[in-house]
Amino acid sequence: MFSWLNKKKKKSAAVAKDRLKIAIMSDRTGHDLPFMEDLKRDIIEVIKKYKEVSNIEIRKVSHQETDAIAIEVELEEHK
Amino acid sequence: MSKVIAVISGKGGVGKTTTTANVGLGIARNGRQCVVVDFDIGQRNLDMILGLENRVVYDMVQVMDEEARLDQALIRSKANSNLYFLPASQTKDKSVLESEKIEKLLKDLRKRFEYVILDAPAGIESGFEHTIEFADEAIIVVNPEVSSIRDSDRAIGILDSKSRKGKEGGEVKKHLIINRVDPGMVERGEMLATDDILEILSVDLLGIVPEDKGVIDASNQGHPVVLDDESEAGAAYRRIAKRLCGERIPLVEPQAKKEGLVGKLKGLFR
Ligand SMILES: Nc1ncnc2c1ncn2[C@@H]1O[C@H](COP(=O)(O)OP(=O)(O)OP(=O)(O)O)[C@@H](O)[C@H]1O
Ligand SMILES: [Mg+2]
Repeated sequence: MFSWLNKKKKKSAAVAKDRLKIAIMSDRTGHDLPFMEDLKRDIIEVIKKYKEVSNIEIRKVSHQETDAIAIEVELEEHK
Repeated sequence: MSKVIAVISGKGGVGKTTTTANVGLGIARNGRQCVVVDFDIGQRNLDMILGLENRVVYDMVQVMDEEARLDQALIRSKANSNLYFLPASQTKDKSVLESEKIEKLLKDLRKRFEYVILDAPAGIESGFEHTIEFADEAIIVVNPEVSSIRDSDRAIGILDSKSRKGKEGGEVKKHLIINRVDPGMVERGEMLATDDILEILSVDLLGIVPEDKGVIDASNQGHPVVLDDESEAGAAYRRIAKRLCGERIPLVEPQAKKEGLVGKLKGLFR
């Protein structure tokens, strides 16, 4: 009934989902890769040609038998 | 062909024992020979949930140590003659478990039963590892809540790396049960929905069990809720048991009760 009061607030289930994804990803992560910082710099260089990058996260994700690299690039707003 | 199914969760208190009792009894009611084994050494509970606590004479540790024969320790359920129960030891602790003895016990149980269901202890320590070691399949029980889901992912990691099947390059088949779902909260975006959980864990869904006061009433009486035709949780467990017996039963998402005006007004003051 009074739901319009907190319409702007993100629903807590959605918050839980986002937080869980990140927590579980880092739980599954092994040690950082040695070339992480270099890789970050290179990726920023490439993406900069198209968009300004504000932050970049690189993680090694190990689960079951497979290893992968998860790269998350956050873009500068409206540029 | 018989199968050993471990019921696990990571976090404690999410419903492993409740699931073991109800799914085991559900399977037995489908005409299959089933045994449920309490692997929670030192914290025997399944006996109470099944209403068999007065019948316990020998426990599974005594069977493993050859102080009692398997048929002396097995207890037949009052509710269904296809269901047997093997109690945990109450006096010893988890350190008594040894891989070879567990393997032998499970081998003997496989000869007699189509379904061998193991109720794991809470956590991901040695008692847990021993429960999953020789499992063919696992039922992962979660509550729609962050700590339960996070811990279950760690339990799944250990299941994959430390089970005999995992070590041999195979995989323990995994089934997910989402327990204690409050459909009203899900509808309002206050509780993780089924799809959210599946996206995070990527395990096949076996069933969704709603929050149901009847579950506690059932444990009070030692009369599992699966026997209660009126109960929604009972119906969910009956469907889960049928799926495990190979029937194709569509998944049912619990529905919120339609609240009348009075309910809505009450909600305002909650
Ligand atoms: N669907 C449900 N609705 C309401 N209550 C439930 C439901 N499922 C489980 N419970 C209650 O939650 C409590 C914990 O359940 P249970 O003992 O099965 O958990 P567990 O995972 O075996 O715990 P432990 O890790 O300590 O062995 C019990 O009081 C039980 O009655
Ligand atoms: Mg338990």
